[in-house]
Amino acid sequence: MPKRTDIKSILIIGSGPIVIGQACEFDYSGTQACKVLREEGYRVILINSNPATIMTDPELADATYVEPITPAVVEKILEKERPDAILPTMGGQTALNIAVALADSGVLEKYGIELIGAKLEAIKKAEDRELFQDAMNQIGLESPRGRFIHTMEEALEVAEEIGLPIIIRPSFTLGGTGGGTAYNLHEFREKVEHGLTSSPIRQVLVEESVIGWKEYELEVMRDLRDNVVIICSIENFDPMGVHTGDSITVAPAQTLTDKEYQVMRDAAIKIIRQIGVETGGSNIQFAINPVDGRMIVIEMNPRVSRSSALASKATGFPIAKIAAKLAVGYTLDEIPNDITKETPASFEPTIDYCVVKIPRWDFEKFKGVDDTLGVQMKSVGEAMAIGRTFKEAFQKALRSLEQGRFGLGADGKDVFDIRNLPEGKRDEIKKKVMDRLKMPKPNNVFYMRYAFQLGVSIDELFRVTKVDPWFLYNIKQIVDCEEELYGYTV
Amino acid sequence: MKQNSKIKDPLTRVTREAMLKAKQYGFSDMQLAHIWGSTEKALRQLRKEIGVIPVYKTVDTCAAEFEAHTPYHYSTYDQENESVRTDRKKVIILGGGPNRIGQGIEFDYCCVHGVYALAEEGIETIMINCNPETVSTDYDTTDKLYFEPLTLEDVLNIYDHEQPLGVIVSFGGQTPLKIAKSLEDHGVKILGTSSEGIDIAEDRERFGALLRKLKIPHPMYGTAYSVTNAVLVAEQIGFPVLIRPSYVLGGRAMEICYNSDAVREYMKKAVDVSPDHPVLIDRFLEDAFEFDVDAVCDGKDVLIGGVMEHIEEAGIHSGDSSCVLPPYMISEKNLEDLKIHTVRLAKALKVIGLINIQYAMKDGVVYVLEVNPRASRTVPFVSKAVGLPLAKIAAKVMVGRTLEDLGVKDFDYQKVKHISVKEAVFPFSKFPRVPVFLGPEMRSTGEVMGIASEFGAAIAKAQMGAGNTLPTEGKIFISVNNSDKNEITLEIARGYERLGFSFVATEGTSRFLCEHGIPCESVYKVNEGRPNIVDLIKNGEIKLVINTPLGEESRYDEYSIGWAAIEQKVSFITTLSAAASAVKGIEQQKSHGIEVRSLQEYQKGIPATT
Repeated sequence: MPKRTDIKSILIIGSGPIVIGQACEFDYSGTQACKVLREEGYRVILINSNPATIMTDPELADATYVEPITPAVVEKILEKERPDAILPTMGGQTALNIAVALADSGVLEKYGIELIGAKLEAIKKAEDRELFQDAMNQIGLESPRGRFIHTMEEALEVAEEIGLPIIIRPSFTLGGTGGGTAYNLHEFREKVEHGLTSSPIRQVLVEESVIGWKEYELEVMRDLRDNVVIICSIENFDPMGVHTGDSITVAPAQTLTDKEYQVMRDAAIKIIRQIGVETGGSNIQFAINPVDGRMIVIEMNPRVSRSSALASKATGFPIAKIAAKLAVGYTLDEIPNDITKETPASFEPTIDYCVVKIPRWDFEKFKGVDDTLGVQMKSVGEAMAIGRTFKEAFQKALRSLEQGRFGLGADGKDVFDIRNLPEGKRDEIKKKVMDRLKMPKPNNVFYMRYAFQLGVSIDELFRVTKVDPWFLYNIKQIVDCEEELYGYTV
Repeated sequence: MKQNSKIKDPLTRVTREAMLKAKQYGFSDMQLAHIWGSTEKALRQLRKEIGVIPVYKTVDTCAAEFEAHTPYHYSTYDQENESVRTDRKKVIILGGGPNRIGQGIEFDYCCVHGVYALAEEGIETIMINCNPETVSTDYDTTDKLYFEPLTLEDVLNIYDHEQPLGVIVSFGGQTPLKIAKSLEDHGVKILGTSSEGIDIAEDRERFGALLRKLKIPHPMYGTAYSVTNAVLVAEQIGFPVLIRPSYVLGGRAMEICYNSDAVREYMKKAVDVSPDHPVLIDRFLEDAFEFDVDAVCDGKDVLIGGVMEHIEEAGIHSGDSSCVLPPYMISEKNLEDLKIHTVRLAKALKVIGLINIQYAMKDGVVYVLEVNPRASRTVPFVSKAVGLPLAKIAAKVMVGRTLEDLGVKDFDYQKVKHISVKEAVFPFSKFPRVPVFLGPEMRSTGEVMGIASEFGAAIAKAQMGAGNTLPTEGKIFISVNNSDKNEITLEIARGYERLGFSFVATEGTSRFLCEHGIPCESVYKVNEGRPNIVDLIKNGEIKLVINTPLGEESRYDEYSIGWAAIEQKVSFITTLSAAASAVKGIEQQKSHGIEVRSLQEYQKGIPATT
């Protein structure tokens, strides 16, 4: 399909200031979108309150508004500029929320402005828990069981249905305060009661616990002709329970069998169709029970996300750029791949290397803060590295973080010198190391190294950390290699 | 595993196979040097001698099935190098690495601008960075991208392979600067300000000597190597003092101490002091106004991009303070002092490229606090505020252009008619129960900008952009410490009163306001009874909280109030100067509403539309 000529000008909404969970990945996507749409001859109008972004350089748009991103201010810009369309999928959750607010309040209708990239209905289906659950049920996919409750009676009914352990998440509380996991009924009552009190609207989500399951993400794109491609699979090193933004992630997925991967791939294609994202990219998260292989769909972002930036850099496939082109009517087979020039964007990328991303935290700036990782993201940045193997990429990523480490230990910065530990101290240190590994925390991988140096087995470490044995085996190989190196001299 | 048999013979000299395996497993030269008790430099030499050097592979989307046209590379220890060196003139720009508090997107902006500028000069640009979120790691941005760690080893490997004219280290924040000296020791040509200039700016003794020579005022300072020594030095300098360890940058673990006990306490809990790791002690200029200047120097002329005035008083990290450009409370004479000092310092340090200087003004005297001969966090803000791409200009100057032939020598930022305000954004809502008061340690993650033709409107926009939309009516909770119970506070309160706000305060502040004819209700502190101030905030009765920190004894109250305000999304102001500027913001919002105007219109001088 050729590009649309019925629209002449497009407003792109940026993501505003850098906050935890929304960093410069949206400057990257927004900048790409601005460039592409202008190349295609559209008048580009941009709003972003963040002056440190490249997208707000006056050369990148026809009209650049460094103004607060609120529905009222955006409405003023719409009134003044009268764009034909809004592309809300480049500026993270901020942009999507604004677009939904403007649609709901009738502003878009008033000015005759169309949402491109993601339609209102698709956004709502992806973001509203109950609509999403229904949509998944309709295509025969499971999502975590559970629902919102307002009273103890309702909560107990849900507990009866899904069984313990159960996660309790109060609505509209900051930092997940008042939430937690209940392992017995007594604890469940206590936590629900506490959750109801902490929630300003006395609402709590009671949900099946998938903590410890394996976590995956697929980056998917779809065009108006219903072509769907999978750009990249990403596997989380840390199991479910740790926010993706706080997890070490690896691309492509390393521990799925081809059959499992194909099942996930088919599911992703069904999901993007069912939710109805017609043009553009989406990020879909899955969890797999390591015991029985049961797969559930966690969530879907009907927009460019932090993971899309990672997937773009990991594969060389410019997701935001292609998404912008799809939004104005092109189809995947019509867009050439810049890297090869020969293949179109409908060719799925192939990777013959391994990519590892590791987050970076700045807890020392916040006295008294709990550094345990959980469902709310706490990291402020990340480093990515590419290598031929997981081992190479992993150690490169560790030294890329610039926290004074030059790989997985053996760099003079280790907390414990296990190789030179007096025999009598080993048990004590081993207990310390294993205790620490019970909770997901920054730098746990260094403790995994200590554990292997202390002779802990892969099975034992898996039981404690729920990190897939394949990753643990690779870490053990690094540790064994280090040990071999001590056998040499220079 | 069978290879383990080797461990039994400790005398085997490392073989090529062993070295290669280690590198393929991702071990760095630093790790290997540590394992074998050698140095990174010696290890590198040995590794090259036995022929273990990296090759560069291409990220091509197709596992080499088709030919790739975009040079996007990573290193590995394998056969066949796919990165072809061209014979063009080329420059390597080092990126900023992972984002962190104190080093974020601003530096990526500078790097990308550096790339654009050099491309315009016909130079091939090579980017090295490892942060996947950035524009600098978009393969479209540069001629060549190496997605690699920014360590000495990895950068040298690429340098060896590419043989560029030089390396730019001054755009990526602390990351590349940290390795600049070592790069130079390995024969790498650093473009821009020499490491000598950087060293003078960073070495307190040398910098102090320079300031004395130039007769530029600076706050008293000293260095201490032990706890007792620290107390002595602080007493000599005079209280209050700003105290911090020497070996961390970006305001980490910095504190303001008002007496010897506080210094002792700080030394005990915060610092691991030793002769190698001294602590730095500076006289803290209390109630001073602070300024930031960003400039570009080509060795001969100096272009002042802009002068920003911090809205919060001294003692709050410049990255956490909001600021306004042009400055609004400084005399012509002091402004002239700032200019002259900037020009003299840039020339004395032989700066080629960007320089950022922080100043404080107290009792009509301008003091130099800090000089950074490199891109600063404020470069993008200034560039957007004045409409001049400073980072681009700096990059061109670094490859030999002059300010004169770029036509920017006589630029005057004071001719810019609109007002720009920068406001910081904090992650407190993600970290329940951490202290919410600002201090010398930077904690903001990002920033927003408000632009308008009036100061008040720019403030209102910046606050709105940062998510603290200022209220236009309702009740204000106000609590100020004893030293703030003065005319300034009354003035501010009267301002809010004129705008139709009413007040509620705890006992002390309430009595103070009432005694001066400003009606104010009284409310319980958290531990005095109920309903107390936190109840009022939670009930949505308070639209704005003005709370200047009272110190240790009321910390519990302040935590509770701060957190209630954050949870209820009530605007929360912790300094008097911010409270004063908010008055102006609210006033403007009430009278004119918010006007929108594009950067392109500002540059052409087109007025705003309401």
